[in-house]
Amino acid sequence: MKRSEALGGGVIFLFGAVTAILSLQMPIGSFRAAGSGLFPLCLGILLMVLSAAYVAQVLWAVREEIKKDADVAPERESPAQVLAFLVVIVMATLLLKPLGYPLVSFLLMVGLLRVLGSRRWPLNLTLSLVTAAGSHILFVYLLKIPLPRGFLGI
Amino acid sequence: MLESLQHLAAGFGVAMTLQNLFYCLVGATVGTLVGVLPGLGPIAGIALLIPVTFGLNSTSAIIMLAGIYYGAMYGGSTTSILINVPGETASVMTCIDGYQMAQKGKAGKALAICAIGSFIAGTIGIFGLVFLAPPLAEAALAFGPAEYFSLMVFGFIVLSNVTGASFLKSLMMAVIGLIIGTIGLDPVTGDGRFAFDSPSLLGGIEFVAVAIGLFGIGEVLVNAARPAELLEQKVVVPHLRELYPSLADLKESISAILRGTGIGFGAGLIPGPAPVIATYASYMVERKISKHPEEFGKGAIKGVAGPESANNAACQSAFIPLFAIGIPFAPPTAILLGALLIHGVTPGPMMITEHPALFWGVIASMYIGNLILLLLNLPFVPFFANILRIPKKVLLPLVMLFCLTGMYTVNNSMFDIWVMILFGALGFLARKWAYEAAPLLLALVLGPKLEVAFRQSLMISHGSFDVFVNRPISLAFLVATALFLLIPLATMFRGRVRIREAAGKGEG
Repeated sequence: MKRSEALGGGVIFLFGAVTAILSLQMPIGSFRAAGSGLFPLCLGILLMVLSAAYVAQVLWAVREEIKKDADVAPERESPAQVLAFLVVIVMATLLLKPLGYPLVSFLLMVGLLRVLGSRRWPLNLTLSLVTAAGSHILFVYLLKIPLPRGFLGI
Repeated sequence: MLESLQHLAAGFGVAMTLQNLFYCLVGATVGTLVGVLPGLGPIAGIALLIPVTFGLNSTSAIIMLAGIYYGAMYGGSTTSILINVPGETASVMTCIDGYQMAQKGKAGKALAICAIGSFIAGTIGIFGLVFLAPPLAEAALAFGPAEYFSLMVFGFIVLSNVTGASFLKSLMMAVIGLIIGTIGLDPVTGDGRFAFDSPSLLGGIEFVAVAIGLFGIGEVLVNAARPAELLEQKVVVPHLRELYPSLADLKESISAILRGTGIGFGAGLIPGPAPVIATYASYMVERKISKHPEEFGKGAIKGVAGPESANNAACQSAFIPLFAIGIPFAPPTAILLGALLIHGVTPGPMMITEHPALFWGVIASMYIGNLILLLLNLPFVPFFANILRIPKKVLLPLVMLFCLTGMYTVNNSMFDIWVMILFGALGFLARKWAYEAAPLLLALVLGPKLEVAFRQSLMISHGSFDVFVNRPISLAFLVATALFLLIPLATMFRGRVRIREAAGKGEG
């Protein structure tokens, strides 16, 4: 826990450093007449200071506090399921333009139901079909929102 | 004072039009739903419905979005009582005694006292809003950029201090939010920043995408991470005839309701997640002053009445800083600020005079909304309870589809969807490592305002930082900020000394 906490602080430090370096490439100006880069530069440095302080706090912290943080993390979970869930969302987003909203909303439902452990296929397919049709009617016909049509053209 | 009442009467005229009544009803209903549904809170709920308001005038739009905010407070208590799962964070305290009451077959009573307490608190809260917002707005007219800068810094420090396990972590999240807020056009010079020649990045990061990502998708992913067998819930559905509390119950609760209202109203005026702080404080107060503290945790009706009234009052008074000064102190009002800006309304001292119909109309609608919620919640509780029977493995994909569709409708932009997914994943990781997302979102919304205030102050003072301490109001905010900075340092130091003492004793 201690190592991953420090690592998290390190990643944030890097983010601050990158922000500061990129800001330096913009006009900085002075406090009297600030350029575009001044405010982000200050923020980048501030973030570096805060994250360094955090890493130091974690590494030298009293045991009590580490324990308190450890309690926050959920005990039982499945990272594979979250990853699969994210993959389905990313796939759906990639396919949204080419396949169109009606088809993608159907596939998204089928995919996510499967990821979450629904194995009754007839039920999954019916539910997905009803949801896809329902959301299509709601958004496209009732709310008149132009969603990607895809090759189906609906 | 009389003038305020006259304005309020005119506000009722605005809120009572058929169109505005309809949007008030929609907002309150959607709010109750997002409050009931785990995985969707008021923040994601408001953000998702912003695109629906594009075709509306600004008054109807804000009436509906505000309805979602306070409606969610009602809805959140329903899940706390029926399944011991808070629908949103402000309902955590209600779980303790509310669920115990449900276990004893008093679910109906608990729900009814929640609704009645919320209604009383909402009513008193609105009168507070009517009488406090105009003088505060007048006072805020004296605010220059230095005062705004110091006030925002104060807001960030207090919010970071009261949210999450670690002050430093929350503060880092706020700075990250500020940095993300600088992406796009420089608000002063108009130069592009961190855009890497991408037109999408040049337009800046859409705060709606970040809000739905962090608070909608992040929450869905947290739920999806739990193994399938944990996704099912048992629900107690109360019968309609159990829903009316006895006169004795009301008598017992009324003092707790009034105290909760006072605590909540005060909490809404200061920076921080007001409803969460208010419910916690109210519960602690009720337990402390009770003649039977042993009943708390075993189904004490005061333990439900107090916190539930507090969170509603806090919701109402949180609108005071937003409307009067133009600075939201927590994410839900920050999202409302974004929505107001989209509709071309800049909240702040001038709003009451420039948009009186909007200001007084929205306040009046909150009163009507509270009445709608009272009527909606009591008889329809069995319906909302049935929604909880939908298994999570069906609910989560539905919420996901809604987030995806809702996000696309904001700007018809694929880029926004990618931003939303990215922040969804970040929100999940933040949750896992106990980083609080609220400061990031608030900072993202307030970032450009903070930067402009900072640069203008220094321009006025010719680069001297004295401007922040020479002006008394600004100095007062900075002194308050310093005090809040000292609290975590002091607790850290005390903790270390204690451990060292303990270690010393162990060695001896």
